Amino acid sequence: MSDRRMSRRHLLASSALTVGAAAATPLLGACSASSGRSGGTSGGGKVVTLTVMFKSDELTKEHIADFESRNPGIKINFIEYDGTRLNAMLASNEAPDFVRGAAVGSASGNAQELATALDPYLDKSSVLRKEHLLPVNDSFRWDGRRIGQGPFYGIVKDWSQDATLWYNRALFEEAKIEPLSTTEPVSYDELLEIAKKLTKKSGGKTQVYGLGVEWAWNLWAPISTMILQQGGRLYNADLTETDMTTPEALRALKWYVDFAQAGVGPTPLDPAPDGADLSLFLARRMAITQDGYWFGGNFVEESDEIKNNVAMAPAPVMGDKRISPTYVGWGAFIPAKAQHKDEAWKLMEYYMAGPPSEERAKSGWGIPALKSQMSLMPQQLPYQKQAYETQQAELQYAGQLPDSPYIGAAGAWNPVLDKHLQRAVKKEITVEAAGKAITDEVNKLLRQGKEQIG
Amino acid sequence: MAAIAPERVRRGRRGWKRYPSRTFYLFVSPWVLGFALLTALPLGYAFAVSLTNFNGVSERWRWVGLRNYVELMSDTAAIDSLVRTLAFTAIAVPLTVIGGLALAVLLNQRLKAVGLFRTIFFLPSVVPVVAMAIMWKLIFNRDAGILNTILEKISVGPIAWLVDPYAFYALIILTLWGLGGGMVITLAALQGVPAELEEAALVDGANRWHVFRHITVPMISPVLLFQVVTGIIAALQIIIQPLLLAQTNQVGRVAEVPESTHLYMVQVYQEFFANNRYGYGSAMLWVFFLVILAITLLVQRTSRLWVHYTVDSEADR
Repeated sequence: MSDRRMSRRHLLASSALTVGAAAATPLLGACSASSGRSGGTSGGGKVVTLTVMFKSDELTKEHIADFESRNPGIKINFIEYDGTRLNAMLASNEAPDFVRGAAVGSASGNAQELATALDPYLDKSSVLRKEHLLPVNDSFRWDGRRIGQGPFYGIVKDWSQDATLWYNRALFEEAKIEPLSTTEPVSYDELLEIAKKLTKKSGGKTQVYGLGVEWAWNLWAPISTMILQQGGRLYNADLTETDMTTPEALRALKWYVDFAQAGVGPTPLDPAPDGADLSLFLARRMAITQDGYWFGGNFVEESDEIKNNVAMAPAPVMGDKRISPTYVGWGAFIPAKAQHKDEAWKLMEYYMAGPPSEERAKSGWGIPALKSQMSLMPQQLPYQKQAYETQQAELQYAGQLPDSPYIGAAGAWNPVLDKHLQRAVKKEITVEAAGKAITDEVNKLLRQGKEQIG
Repeated sequence: MAAIAPERVRRGRRGWKRYPSRTFYLFVSPWVLGFALLTALPLGYAFAVSLTNFNGVSERWRWVGLRNYVELMSDTAAIDSLVRTLAFTAIAVPLTVIGGLALAVLLNQRLKAVGLFRTIFFLPSVVPVVAMAIMWKLIFNRDAGILNTILEKISVGPIAWLVDPYAFYALIILTLWGLGGGMVITLAALQGVPAELEEAALVDGANRWHVFRHITVPMISPVLLFQVVTGIIAALQIIIQPLLLAQTNQVGRVAEVPESTHLYMVQVYQEFFANNRYGYGSAMLWVFFLVILAITLLVQRTSRLWVHYTVDSEADR
């Protein structure tokens, strides 16, 4: 009987061998990159399968079918956009061929050589060329040290100057306040005073918020914009350090503290039901919201009461320098390890300069990223025409947010800003102490990023 | 009345040889393989990552030895979040276990439509956690939530449930919402308590409380231990509820989680996905794994004082 028995040692040894073999198989498989992912090249008559990671409401089934019918040698394997999954795919050498990505904050990825330089394609293309691109695309450029120059590593699909304002004229009338100018910007201090007058509270509840600043979405970009508007800067010359104790930074932080303490808009200490301004705005419970041109896309299907009362105003200012940048600029890039870059570029051309881009431009859900499509922006409805005119005037102030390759822009900044702003709002610390704490924490992250990237 | 004496299960080397080995190993091998591939291997991988400065995507990582662990020892944000997590666990687990026990005792009575009540109390625990959290977020809303509307009728509030200092209580309430799961397990255990033991005690003059205290609870104590251990592990690892209750409209954002509900796993999530510090985040997870292991062992050791097994020792040989 003893020879039929398996000892504990044998069990463990057998298990270890099995586990080792099972583990080694995918690891060894990874050495040959994505050998099983696609079926050759379109030039050889075989069908190439492009792995595309995007949002399905942006690159729709109809777009994919249309693209495939125009390009019989290319099939699309669609994956819903998921940042965590993208990281895993990039790290395991299974990079998608075409990926949704933001222009603002792209420096970190570009410094890590995660994206493909698109200049060779742009130079050859007949439909998507450098001279077609609006300056917003410059946030996708990277010269090895900083953004704004060097090759393009992505193309913006549409964008907005996200510090602009949308407001409901009816709520201004009810509060007997003159509506915001659609041509001249207000200062942030004036805006806060107007918001206080528009806010309606009763019995500890807020019936109408005067102003929403989309606190839950982005703190880094608006605070950076405020600093730039005052002539300050966010990073030092080599983008390795920040100083949030400068007068410009402290003024920006103080405005946010004043805003929260005034209780005129949703904050983490007075949260919006769904974390965003839209539902409150549509419910006539918010008079002004700080959102870009894209926000107007929400109103097309709304009631006449909304459509007849909404208006867009220029971005407010905090200083002498009028600047109104995009906070994100969503677009697409081709990963450096993509297997089918030529075919991915065909999709880039189709999506950025073909029918989908025209649809986007006409929809009002953002400003097109190509100069030639600006005239397609909707102007049929009165509010669309007003927003178009305000937006056209705002374009000259677009500017560009700073982007350090050593930190992940809003994703890394927001938790730090939010934590210390909340403490200042609750008067646990002063604004100056918050600025110092933010500086220390962000500089720590920058040091870690610098060590990583070199 | 004396409690039933605990009888220990026999352990040791003898136990290894008492089964026909091939059949035994055949049956346990799926679990062993599953454990090795899905638990041990990722654990080992995470430990290796914890010794690097890997950021999740870049090939430019390097070994940093124990530096991430050393940093963690002085990371006040991580330590504070761990303390909050332990406090949350210390409050939530007893409430959950005792609440489940109370409901089970209540629904173990001979009542009219008791099956209906059991279903009603159990139903919340089958609601997906995301749906439940979103539902409670609406209930807790200060301006339009139904909870404040009800409280206003008795001239209380309005209370800003989703911000500090109330966010912590909101999270506890949300956790208690799912105690129907524990109730069902406890109810099954209660129905396994031999009626003759309780009847004998009653005949001997014990009142209902004495019977419950000295017969019922000891008899179901292994089930309670199970709930305590799994409850502690679940409470320590809680993450999705704090994220969903926060102001954010996207789960991935951790910035707006109130301080009192910024628990350890939220901090881990922040290090991984906001700061892209996979190495440091892995070190945090490994330390957390050891903390959970230590707490679980502590509970197991102390369980000898209050858990009573009725295993037939003769049959176990």
